[in-house]
Amino acid sequence: MSSGANTDRSFAPSLDDEARERLRQIGSADIIVGIPSYNNGDTIGRVIRAAELGLAKYFPGHKGVIMISEGGSAEETSRAVEHLGDRRYFESAFITRPDRGTDIFVTKYRGLSGKGTAIKAVLEAGRILAVRAGCMLDSDLRSISPEWIELLIAPVLLKDFGFVAPYYSRHKYDGTITNMIAYPLTWSLYGRRVRQPIGGDFGFSPALMESLLAKNVWETDIARFGIDIWMTTVAICENFKICQSFLGAKIHDDKDPGKDLSPMFTQVVGTIFSLMSLYRDTWLRVRGSRPTAIFGFESEYAPKPLLVDSHNMIRKFQESASACRQVWERVLEKETCDKLLEVVSFEADRFELPVQLWIKSLYDFACAYERLPDGLARSDIIEALVPVYYAMTASFVRKTQNLDSQQAEEVITEQCREFEKLKPYLIECWSAHQQEGE
Amino acid sequence: MKKKILVVDDEQNIRMLLREELTDEGYDVIEAENGAAAISAIKDQKPDLVTLDIKMPGEDGLSILRKIREIDYDLPVIICSAYSVYKSDFSAVAADHYIVKSSNFEDIKKKIAEILSYQTS
Repeated sequence: MSSGANTDRSFAPSLDDEARERLRQIGSADIIVGIPSYNNGDTIGRVIRAAELGLAKYFPGHKGVIMISEGGSAEETSRAVEHLGDRRYFESAFITRPDRGTDIFVTKYRGLSGKGTAIKAVLEAGRILAVRAGCMLDSDLRSISPEWIELLIAPVLLKDFGFVAPYYSRHKYDGTITNMIAYPLTWSLYGRRVRQPIGGDFGFSPALMESLLAKNVWETDIARFGIDIWMTTVAICENFKICQSFLGAKIHDDKDPGKDLSPMFTQVVGTIFSLMSLYRDTWLRVRGSRPTAIFGFESEYAPKPLLVDSHNMIRKFQESASACRQVWERVLEKETCDKLLEVVSFEADRFELPVQLWIKSLYDFACAYERLPDGLARSDIIEALVPVYYAMTASFVRKTQNLDSQQAEEVITEQCREFEKLKPYLIECWSAHQQEGE
Repeated sequence: MKKKILVVDDEQNIRMLLREELTDEGYDVIEAENGAAAISAIKDQKPDLVTLDIKMPGEDGLSILRKIREIDYDLPVIICSAYSVYKSDFSAVAADHYIVKSSNFEDIKKKIAEILSYQTS
């Protein structure tokens, strides 16, 4: 992921000629709202309406553009925009429709299919329009309100923040890759407590936009699900001023962590591990952790229950153990591997993966991803981590099944502190490998 | 050079006790009894760390914390409250640490030393 010459395919524009022409007609704008989409015609209308109302209500004197960056059928998404019709929702929301309306357009991005490329197209548009601030919104959001636009844009426009991460109320079992891996690793590695480092909704400054566009990463997993953790990590490591905005509930299409998360897991975790190599000089010298400023207003809210099948995850862990054993033995420290194999034999009703064992395993996997033991591909390493992640998630579910979301949050915070405490183990393991290589 | 700690608490006894304990640890201690005095002290005297009570007459500690973050993004703040309930307030995440007040000052002294050691490392 090192920087390369601008002739690299990674720097090929993600905007097609038609989109560029549209942007040329618009000329310039103050704010861009990007909505990466992949055939989300059913849900995207709500997101566009909220964004348009938010721009009108909170930034009436600013020129806004909403760009839907589509990876699937642009026709279907364009129909959702046409269905916005006569904008009666302004009247029912008691918001005055500005004389200078918001430009809303759909474009099908070019390049590797994935969320990252969709975001790159929005960043390119923001550069062409010379915006002063921008934000991205997930296209499957059901809980978005116009206030989200204020909360994601105002810290950039009014307080000079470079990156605004979201802070949501989520059900204790929603976002398990965040809770088990992305949040604690961001906390322990880079010393920055960002609660939702892979939240899909965030604000950004033009300076961060330029910094991201200049990087030669757009042909990697970052162009897919790795984009969110990459942006957060770049913002932290390149010293952009970071804050969080409390957006309330995040309700979107449900995802059971035991089902269908493998591509996302592979891309997010692969990106985190790759970034550890890129930013090694940063995280190796970071000690402790710092909080991140937060804006917004907290309202009482009970997240929608999310049913998780922990038995299914335990079964997947146990069934994968024999197939993964050889990789585990090469990746993990002997003691850690022996303990993990002990856990395989636990019955479901007594199942527990101790958190320290999880952390040491994850740290060992990160080091192995860097040193790449002979004969192993990076994909083998991530694949062998998936069942351990299932085991940890199942263990967390069992531990917190009788706790409310706030109590479960305290368990997650404690886990993050354990990650921080065990960081010397990671440094030792990482440095030993570096010395071997010298 | 001695590190400077700002103690923000409306109760004089607490400020006095913390001053004694932290002075013994080798810190310079300054005090503020409310939000306005705290903000003024932060601007004028540039402390290295703030201990902040929450429940105070007038402006509460969480509101003061928001202002501190606007003035000095990186200034370490330890919330030191008699109430654990505010720990779940989302605003409290902008503090470095949350300590429930007790007669034992070891926790807060340990945490201050830890946070300040990161700054100097």
